[in-house]
Amino acid sequence: MDLNIDTDDLNICVQCGLCLPHCPTYRVTGDETMSPRGRINLMREVQDNDAPLTDEVVDAFATCVQCRGCEPACPSNVPYGQMIEQTRETLVEVGKVTPAWQQLALKPLAHPKLLRAGSVAVAVASKVGMVPTRFGLPEGLPIRQKPLVASGDDVWMFTGCVMDAWQRDVHHATQRVLEAAGFGVKPTGRLAPCCGALQTHAGVGDQARRLAETVIDQLEGQPVLVNSAGCGAAMKDYGRTLGTERAKAFSHRVFDISEFLAGHADRLPDATPLDLRVAVQDPCHLRHVQRVHHATRDVLRPFVRELVELDDDGLCCGAGGAYSVLQPELAGQIRDRKIAAIDRATPDVVASANPGCSMHLAAAGVPTVHPLTLIDQAITTSGPGN
Amino acid sequence: MAGLLSSVRKRLSSDALRTGRNGGQTDPVVAELRAALAPDRVRYDGAERTVLSHDASIYAGGVAGPVCFPLTTTEVQAIMVIAERHTRNVVPRGAGTGLAGGAIPLGAPIVVSVTRMNEIEQVDTANRFAWVGPGVVNLDLTRHLTPLGFHFAPDPSSQQVCTIGGNVANNSGGPHCLAYGVTNAHVLAVEVVLPNGDIVMLGGLEDEPAGYDLRGTFVGSEGTLGIATRVAVRLTPNPPAVTTLLLSFETIRDAANTVSDIIAAGMVPAALEVMDQRITVAVENYVHAGYPTDAGAVLLAEVDGLAESIEIDAHHIAALGHKNNALHIRVAADEAERAALWKGRKTAFGAIAQIAPDYYLHDTVVPRGALADVLDKIYEIADRHDLLVMNVFHAGDGNLHPLLVFDAREPGVVDRVHQAGAEIVRASLDAGGVLSGEHGIGVEKQAYMDEFFTAEDLAHQNRLRQAFDPGCRTNPGKVIPSGHSCADIQALRSVPRDVWA
Amino acid sequence: MTARLAVTDPVLLAFADEVGADGPVAVEGARTRWEVGGPGHPDTRLVRAPAGIVDYVPDEMTVTVRCGTTVAELHQALSAEGQRTALPERAGTVGGALAVGENGLHVLGRGRVREAALQVRYVSDDGKVVTGGGPTVKNVTGFDLPRLLVGSLGTVGLLAEVILRTNPIPAVTRWVASDDADPFTVLDTILRPGSVLWDGNRTWIELEGHVPAVDAEQARLASMGTWIEVDGPPELESHRWVLPPGEIQTNVDGFGSRFVASVGVGTVWADVAQPSRAVAAGVTALNQRVKEQFDPRHRLNPGRDPGAR
Repeated sequence: MDLNIDTDDLNICVQCGLCLPHCPTYRVTGDETMSPRGRINLMREVQDNDAPLTDEVVDAFATCVQCRGCEPACPSNVPYGQMIEQTRETLVEVGKVTPAWQQLALKPLAHPKLLRAGSVAVAVASKVGMVPTRFGLPEGLPIRQKPLVASGDDVWMFTGCVMDAWQRDVHHATQRVLEAAGFGVKPTGRLAPCCGALQTHAGVGDQARRLAETVIDQLEGQPVLVNSAGCGAAMKDYGRTLGTERAKAFSHRVFDISEFLAGHADRLPDATPLDLRVAVQDPCHLRHVQRVHHATRDVLRPFVRELVELDDDGLCCGAGGAYSVLQPELAGQIRDRKIAAIDRATPDVVASANPGCSMHLAAAGVPTVHPLTLIDQAITTSGPGN
Repeated sequence: MAGLLSSVRKRLSSDALRTGRNGGQTDPVVAELRAALAPDRVRYDGAERTVLSHDASIYAGGVAGPVCFPLTTTEVQAIMVIAERHTRNVVPRGAGTGLAGGAIPLGAPIVVSVTRMNEIEQVDTANRFAWVGPGVVNLDLTRHLTPLGFHFAPDPSSQQVCTIGGNVANNSGGPHCLAYGVTNAHVLAVEVVLPNGDIVMLGGLEDEPAGYDLRGTFVGSEGTLGIATRVAVRLTPNPPAVTTLLLSFETIRDAANTVSDIIAAGMVPAALEVMDQRITVAVENYVHAGYPTDAGAVLLAEVDGLAESIEIDAHHIAALGHKNNALHIRVAADEAERAALWKGRKTAFGAIAQIAPDYYLHDTVVPRGALADVLDKIYEIADRHDLLVMNVFHAGDGNLHPLLVFDAREPGVVDRVHQAGAEIVRASLDAGGVLSGEHGIGVEKQAYMDEFFTAEDLAHQNRLRQAFDPGCRTNPGKVIPSGHSCADIQALRSVPRDVWA
Repeated sequence: MTARLAVTDPVLLAFADEVGADGPVAVEGARTRWEVGGPGHPDTRLVRAPAGIVDYVPDEMTVTVRCGTTVAELHQALSAEGQRTALPERAGTVGGALAVGENGLHVLGRGRVREAALQVRYVSDDGKVVTGGGPTVKNVTGFDLPRLLVGSLGTVGLLAEVILRTNPIPAVTRWVASDDADPFTVLDTILRPGSVLWDGNRTWIELEGHVPAVDAEQARLASMGTWIEVDGPPELESHRWVLPPGEIQTNVDGFGSRFVASVGVGTVWADVAQPSRAVAAGVTALNQRVKEQFDPRHRLNPGRDPGAR
């Protein structure tokens, strides 16, 4: 069966295996069908040799977290992320993964009111103990939130879907930090409700591309700053997913918030560092896809007592968008590994620049905050003029 | 590291998988294996069997039979007993990064993946050993030991992924084995499950265990003598100081002569690595480590130990470089610069992937004094076959890694690659060298064994094999070539059951 | 086509003829460690391995030597080029040192006897010259038969010629001793000592390397005791023990009235013999199968058992 993977891409992999240790599912299972090399091998069997899509083959594709930790490790630059996205999309079309109810579940992401209503419902339900813990949802979802108000038009602050519904406080913090650096901030809000990253991961490509078009249409002119690593990665990839010059131009205007602030570090105010030992947990889509994770450290360092690195080579935490809900067992094992690395680093708090990661870790009791929240706290508690 | 012909592999593997599509009945040992291990740790589906039919080599043989993921020595023993009862072959497997086909199945053997036996059980820094499972990743072990002031010395280029069990099977080396020795010097004891199901401890924590040195013969036996289930490795103290020098030369001959002079001067540097101009340019374009791209060759020399001592050695190496017309000599100023230089060396193969989609990585050893002549010969062979060759190698121990770079889609190129490869191997033998320094024989170099050893020599290797594995059921058809081995290779290559049924 | 390792040297072929294909036979060296492995069978015909250095290329750090050569003669030739091997100075012949396989007291600095042989040529039970290993310093071509032969007491093949790895002799070697230092702490402090010996009271250290490095190490030692420079290692007692290095201290009471222990290695020279070391049944059976394969008629050095040490 044709998975619609580019034949040349499929041929690049020489099966050296250097990706294996960077793959979270291989790390926890030791099973090569759950590794990039194994999955590419199976893509070839299916696409070139007409091997049947057995349950195990589908499972091999469905268990990929799409963290793309394998890509920087690959000496041959295999575009694995594109290949697995394409595979998922084809599998959706033939009804092998992401059944209709899951596709339906992704719809509200594009509709803020719906999402917020659902979130409130989940928040209430989880408060009264109605949500099974296997869903790995964080405790204390906000039931009411303060609205975001524009303060100028130097930069767009992309607010997104899940993040806006569940972590709007991070947006407030981000806006305050940007304003402290002298930028007028335009929250994107309902103009561009969702970047489409989760849809892309789930293989629902059509939904994703429609959302991308909306984002590009609405956010003209200024730099688009993103404080969710997954959204930033998807938006930087619009040039490829849509294939238009306009999309490429847009992607060049997209910056991770830390990446942007690192370029304007001189504009950030001085502040008394928070008395915290902070472990930086790199979201995969910041480290492996955007590859700007060093900026997080550069920006955060002056505002906390101590930064500490995890010793796991940036291995995925298992959140993976909706992965933690769809593959709770594997996601849990992957998270256990991450938590062990965090324990070894003995931090007071973990900084993670992606809502999926922070909620996934918080659900396991790991104190996790967005790096911008820490910077905001440091600046705010130091007071103006400091 | 990698080095293969992806398209060749695909052709071969799909042939193996396409044949006999109507098989379908379940392998009778699967139920027994599942009862002995756990249902989810014995896989028999097409996906698993297909994926574990390959390693990092270009070779395809048969198809994996049942794939087992044991957790304990007892479970490995159970697998061996079941295999013996059913007269089934067994192939052990670590991370599958071998380049000689040592981990591929021939026929439809039971594949035993040790990846889940990955516990670092005990670390004793006072007595400088650690007990580890065979599935522990080489670099994970060293990272575990680093804060304690120690490391595991063998550092193959695949160390971030390869397992200790695989290192034991292949007697793995690496750039820093020049001073520290290869895996055999760093393994004290190996717990092995023999093909008959006996669990034996080969070697021991003492220096000279009683009886034959079976630990020493087991290391490097490429999984043909049994399955290692626990390994006691030696811990090497981290050197207090390290200096890395980068020397550039107009010709690779000057670089090779410098290496010979360094060895002849009585120094044993931690590493002596040479890259020719072609690969240096590729590496520099890829990682921007500061390598000179106008030199004919570069020599990366590293000395470690006491600060007082490495300063003397570094000066001596520089002097020998000047004597051999070094164009430029640079000492890495700090750890960052040192790391950048090593990153360049260790990602050399990645740099090649930017140039052409396929490459074939060879592995031979020649006397150090013959390096320059053999390199000339290698360039001549590649030219004659209209192929691009690049050389990056462990110069200190004469371990060559010629890389033939090509695009397999070009008609006839694969045949030329194989012809050139054969000539390179023979040129190394002509110079007094050997077939392999690190990668092993596997299935890749069996055909050359007769050119190196006599029939009597091979018969004696087979005697050792027979003592461990009289039925020739553990990784059969590897190392010893057909005709000298106990196994009937033809039977091994018989058409396997269809995996997708 | 002739194999690269095919043997044409008439000296080796003559040795093979002398060993022949029938009757019990063993190689006699200098009888330095003749008692190891138990008494040989009295009817065993004794032969001598050929002697002489065949090929020495200092730049390659390898030497091809016939096994009847004495270690002293070999090391004399090597020292002229500033080199040495891991074979113990006290050994008689090269073949004897390898067949017995015992390390000397310089293991930490010079390496192990088992790691010294790159290639072995031996006469098999049926009187043929067989080669294992290969001539280069790094090699994984086929099974590691040199490892099997070293320490096998001539029971799987009679060593005729070997290629040994050589090591550079350091610029300076200096022995120091102390009566108030802890040898185990010393071992953790000195990076690469040539030897650390201990007799229960006194500690001897062999420092090797460049002069400034040895001076620096000696200075570091000063914080761990009072040291004097001495001429060399102490006299070694006659009975040789082999222990895991961590078990020297726990066995101190068993060594008799006097002992010298190689710290970090586990070899102990004591004035009483080590109780015979237990070998697990499975390993014994495997050893027997190896013997059966290589010498099915039990003609190679009958009566001696490498497991009986």
